[in-house]
Amino acid sequence: MSPRRPGRWRAWLRAMPVALLPSLAAVAGPPAAAGTMLDFSADERARILAHGPWPPPPAADPGNALSGRPAAIALGRRLFFDPRLSRDGTLACASCHQPQRAFTDGRPRALGRSRPDGPTDAPLDRHTPGLLNAGQQRWWGWDGAFDSLWSQALHPLLNPREMAATPLHLAALLQRDRQLASLWRAAHGAAAPADGQALLVPLAKSLGAYVATLQSARTPFDRFRDALARGDAAAAARYPLAAQRGLRLFIGRGRCSLCHAGPLFSNGEFADIGAPFFARPGVVDSGRHGGIGALLASPHNLLGAQADPPPPGQPDPATKTRHVFQQQRNFGEFKVPGLRNVARTAPYLHDGQKATLGAVLDHYATLSPDRLHADGEQILQPLQLQGSDRGDLLAFLHSLGSAQPDRQHLPAPARRQR
Amino acid sequence: MTRLRQGAWGAVAWLGAASAWAGCGDALPAAHRLLAEAPGLQIAFAPRPAPLPAGRHFALDIVLCPAPGQPMPAGLQVDADMPAHRHGMNYRASVTPLGAGRFQADGLMFHMAGRWRFIFDLPAADGLSARRATREFDLR
Repeated sequence: MSPRRPGRWRAWLRAMPVALLPSLAAVAGPPAAAGTMLDFSADERARILAHGPWPPPPAADPGNALSGRPAAIALGRRLFFDPRLSRDGTLACASCHQPQRAFTDGRPRALGRSRPDGPTDAPLDRHTPGLLNAGQQRWWGWDGAFDSLWSQALHPLLNPREMAATPLHLAALLQRDRQLASLWRAAHGAAAPADGQALLVPLAKSLGAYVATLQSARTPFDRFRDALARGDAAAAARYPLAAQRGLRLFIGRGRCSLCHAGPLFSNGEFADIGAPFFARPGVVDSGRHGGIGALLASPHNLLGAQADPPPPGQPDPATKTRHVFQQQRNFGEFKVPGLRNVARTAPYLHDGQKATLGAVLDHYATLSPDRLHADGEQILQPLQLQGSDRGDLLAFLHSLGSAQPDRQHLPAPARRQR
Repeated sequence: MTRLRQGAWGAVAWLGAASAWAGCGDALPAAHRLLAEAPGLQIAFAPRPAPLPAGRHFALDIVLCPAPGQPMPAGLQVDADMPAHRHGMNYRASVTPLGAGRFQADGLMFHMAGRWRFIFDLPAADGLSARRATREFDLR
């Protein structure tokens, strides 16, 4: 019996894309003519193929020797969902990064504390970014102030307006909770240090090891892209026509793929799209400009002593940190977000100011060139939406999500165990 | 006749230049070798990894080939921009001299597809004024 089971499983998997099509059509507008495919040119096909394949090879958290180790991932997962990491026991990482919402929280801005040690009663300055595929990114945070997942994890953990943890209370938690202590011992090979300061980075690296495993599922777009790659016109034609038209606009006239590039639909860098700079009255969010300053000043960046060296023969992940530099045009730039699962991560932009994907498209359709390009950069132009363009783009963006569950990309123990 | 002679000499000069270009940096991978020219100097370079990846850091292996009688430049700066977009890279390349006119540039990244321009700046030295060589490159 057992030899038959994998075969049936594969058959079910092959059938899944077809089964998902009705639900995709429901979000993608009126049903398209079955079996129709646009006459994509060779250049268009090359551009489409550049958005895959998916999933990519597993990612590692840079400068984190624990990344990929199952025991560290298990500890990180346990910590991620534990509100006791916050000083008052009310906030876990998962309070804002909710798995059922693609690890966002659905709020325009993350909920924090208006005063240190106070209750979580006030919005912070920025939108909670999703964590799916976070391991595939280059920089973390809307301003890219972090060059690794583990260094990023330290920020909300210690920020008085977020989890407000202290080294002392974290050390006490890991001393008194037997399950946590056991997981720690398995991950780190020794008991958690009583000195809370010595505990911070290993704890953050455990969180980074877990977050690096979070990966979104394959989507209708991926099936279309792969069908195109193997020349399977019949399979490709199952992709809704509206989504195909939206894709053509995305990679062509709309010039969206200039920044929303590659399998993640992000080039991993930063852009000024004309969003207001003001975080609050009188307070300006300088975006990438401040992010680079914070990154280079941080003792926890990849150039610091706490970063683990890459395995022999692997590229040095600190190359980016060593060569990035602050430029005037970085002011008001924010990270180009990946678009996988974008329909599940509303609201949008760095401060959640756009409630829907439609509002984001309207922003691009009506943006003012005078407001942009203060330093002469010429990339963005008002998106000239005509006829069905808006609906087509929305259909395409919805096709970057999937009804399949997201998954934790766990390494194969035989290869990854220490 | 004069015009014909001029044309013949032009062809000889062109062939000579082409021969010199072919020789500059011929240890670099031929399929990915690019050339740029400044007054009295040819620059051969190749990306590593090759082909040049979009959205990933890469290095350049660079060879300077001065014209006969010209001194070997001691210094070199490397940069790149997208003239049509009016922006440069988000990273500043570092250049390491390796001796005998060879250099290695690290930390470059082309963060979007389109037409980029490599920029090689040679500081003023040995009685020569500062020179610049550029080479456009279409990244798909």
